[in-house]
Amino acid sequence: MTEDGESALSDVRVLDIAGEIGLYCTKLLADLGADVIAVEPPGGHPARAIGPFYHDEVDPEKSLYFFNLSTSKRSITLDLEHAAGRDLFRRLLPTADVVVESSPPGHLDRLGLGYADLAKIKPDIILTSVTGFGQWGPHSHYKAPDIVGLAMSGVMWLAGDSDDPPNRFYGNQGYISASIQAAAGTLMALYHRDVTGEGQQVDVSMQEALSLAQETSMQTWDMMKILRRRIGASRVLVMSVPGIGPYRCRDGYVFCYLGTPGGAPWPEMLRWMVDEGKAEDLAEEPYASFIQEMGLPLLTQALFDPSVPERVRPFLAHVDDVLRRFLKSKPKVEVYEEAQERRLLIGIVSTPKDLVEDKQLNYRGYFQDVHHPELGETLRYPGPNARLSETPWRLRRRPPLIGEHNAEVYSEIGLGPEELADLKGAGVI
Amino acid sequence: MAAQPPLTGIHVADFSWFGAGPICSQALATFGATVVRIESETRVDGLRSVAPFPPDKTGYNVSGWFNNYNASKLSFALNLNLPQGREIGHRLIRWADVFITNFTPRVVERWGLTYEELARVKPDIIAAYTPMQGMDGPRRDYLGFGAVVCPIAGFNHLSGFPHREPVGLGTNYPDYVVNPGHTLIAILAALRHRRKTGRGQRIELAQIESSVSALGAALLDYTVNGRVQERQGNRLPHAAPHGAFPCLPVERPAWPGEERPPDQTVPGDDRWCAIAVFSDEEWQALCRAMGNPDWCRDEKFSTLLGRKRHEDELEERIAGWTKDKTAHEVMELLQAAGVPAGAVQTAQDVLENDPHLKERQYYVYLDHPEAGRTAYDGPAFRLTKTPGHLRSPAPCLGEHTHYVCKEILGMDDEEIADLVAEQVLC
Repeated sequence: MTEDGESALSDVRVLDIAGEIGLYCTKLLADLGADVIAVEPPGGHPARAIGPFYHDEVDPEKSLYFFNLSTSKRSITLDLEHAAGRDLFRRLLPTADVVVESSPPGHLDRLGLGYADLAKIKPDIILTSVTGFGQWGPHSHYKAPDIVGLAMSGVMWLAGDSDDPPNRFYGNQGYISASIQAAAGTLMALYHRDVTGEGQQVDVSMQEALSLAQETSMQTWDMMKILRRRIGASRVLVMSVPGIGPYRCRDGYVFCYLGTPGGAPWPEMLRWMVDEGKAEDLAEEPYASFIQEMGLPLLTQALFDPSVPERVRPFLAHVDDVLRRFLKSKPKVEVYEEAQERRLLIGIVSTPKDLVEDKQLNYRGYFQDVHHPELGETLRYPGPNARLSETPWRLRRRPPLIGEHNAEVYSEIGLGPEELADLKGAGVI
Repeated sequence: MAAQPPLTGIHVADFSWFGAGPICSQALATFGATVVRIESETRVDGLRSVAPFPPDKTGYNVSGWFNNYNASKLSFALNLNLPQGREIGHRLIRWADVFITNFTPRVVERWGLTYEELARVKPDIIAAYTPMQGMDGPRRDYLGFGAVVCPIAGFNHLSGFPHREPVGLGTNYPDYVVNPGHTLIAILAALRHRRKTGRGQRIELAQIESSVSALGAALLDYTVNGRVQERQGNRLPHAAPHGAFPCLPVERPAWPGEERPPDQTVPGDDRWCAIAVFSDEEWQALCRAMGNPDWCRDEKFSTLLGRKRHEDELEERIAGWTKDKTAHEVMELLQAAGVPAGAVQTAQDVLENDPHLKERQYYVYLDHPEAGRTAYDGPAFRLTKTPGHLRSPAPCLGEHTHYVCKEILGMDDEEIADLVAEQVLC
């Protein structure tokens, strides 16, 4: 599982002192080949306490949440709140190119580890700071777990059914988005350093990192003074039309975008139902002609003429009922495949199980098996985000145990077993 | 004086369209690269023709959706359906350091844009392909765009409330940060590698794979524990309360053409504040901030376990406290007390009212010859010494065709006139 072959970042060392918000950033850099050293407080990173856990055994060495965000990294323990710990960190710093951190702005300065302090020791260091609201501004000291970023960025306002509270996205997407922008910013700063020899600080705010995910919401307010809001599956349409949104199948859901540009028009859906003898009366009048005109032109008409939705509503409801009965009789994968065969814009609503069994992902060898000797087991992980032909992006080693690499990393700065034992005794590592 | 932007001198041939591709190349432009978008009147980027538009304006050059992803770029109109158009495309590749596309594998082949073909023209090209399902495999030709990537990649199944159908996230979320961000990271890594070794490479990012990577823990829970996670609404197993709580509605004027129900409450227009309590200390701080009501002293709420067990009641109690305050009042009160909280902000809030975003000048207003003065998202990350800048508004369709032909491809006026007459440059 260890490094072999070329990587884009094999000459880059990252010291990772970030909390949960930055773990995905350093995972991205590590999977790309950087030597990422997770600097964990004695006892382990707080994210090790978050589930799900391997076989539901609550144990800092068995957090699947942490595993997923820590592939390809090494781990040392070090208490930065301890003066001796900070001293060790300063000794490690010259070996590093990048430090990734997420403390409240000002905290590292108070510890004597702010950008100015680090740059004194290592002038071309890149300090990537990833926090809820960035390094300055009136909210920069706000506490910002994931949901606060989603809320304040404007994206949560748009998510969910109007009868429910605004929806959080699954999977700490605020942290993920901030981490993605932080990794991109780090690489941008590295490129600049490579060219000019100059280091700098990278400032990432989760609120700003998520802003683009408002889609057209910001511009719709700016240009039209209209607020997009959460309207469940009907999204931006002026009326509910058949074949847009989630549809129940025998064993789950598919998501349909019938009649939108890019896919086959509604009559193809009707043809499919007719082919299977399940079109009921839709192939007859008045429905047959109505289905011919169903699609974007009709929706556009409805935008400008309020009488259109009124006129077509009864037709729409019946067409929708027949479509629902048809799709409900079939397994979701079959609907997905047959629809795509017919160039109808329908996607499966994948569960984690569907993804793990997905033909396409498996054909392409997306999932990656990682051996965990301590668990006596090989675990199947989501694979790399992209394929790079020369410098592979892949999981390079299993997530580290707490302080697993203390001896090898600290020996680089001349610490022997005795000193390590002393530091351990003092609670520094 | 600020240093030169990091990507000064890097040339990008952007053969992408819609969301994820252009967002990625916009970040490259923001940090100094010269980005030429290859467009065509014969195959207009779909985002150019959809809302929002400024009042009383239509046409291909004023869409707020398109313009927000294409600042600082040059637009080059080129008809790739013609052999001469494809030949000129290759001349642009010879100029380029980076090539980006999100066309389907079939179109990439039809237009002679496979890596093998590009590398023949420009051996050290960095060529990024971002198809939906991948360039190979049984589903490589499946249809789709962001709206189906989201459900196929698993976001819909896992997000939202358990009693509700998997309605999705309200936007094509993976299109905006996850997929363009992962592509950008791959390109920057490849640029660095090329600088060290002189070698280019092929990047392939299947949008579904890149999106699934953002949902890792749920996948591991299945591969390791056999558990299929379900929608949990706004709750988290290790926090309580954790969700959005109803606040005082804010009156707003009716929109153009909007019929307002008599009670002035429009579904989806209500106001909320997110509150998240991870520790007992934060819980006690929340109780103090709420004025220590009697119910807070109930033993059953004193531990995380207890709060999780009685979460329905807990949420109701807190909602009783939040409902007669504005979302921003709740946020400010709780943050001052050390409790994580954030108003669920609208686009109007973030663009015009948020004092923090205003001070940081995140949104940028640019003057566009047709669209007028409109707002753009600023750089998504800030570099202290080489900050990114939006240098110019989004280009009009084909605005820089003549410039690109002349200054980049070195054509003379006669050749350009011939190509215009032959409808290659359109």
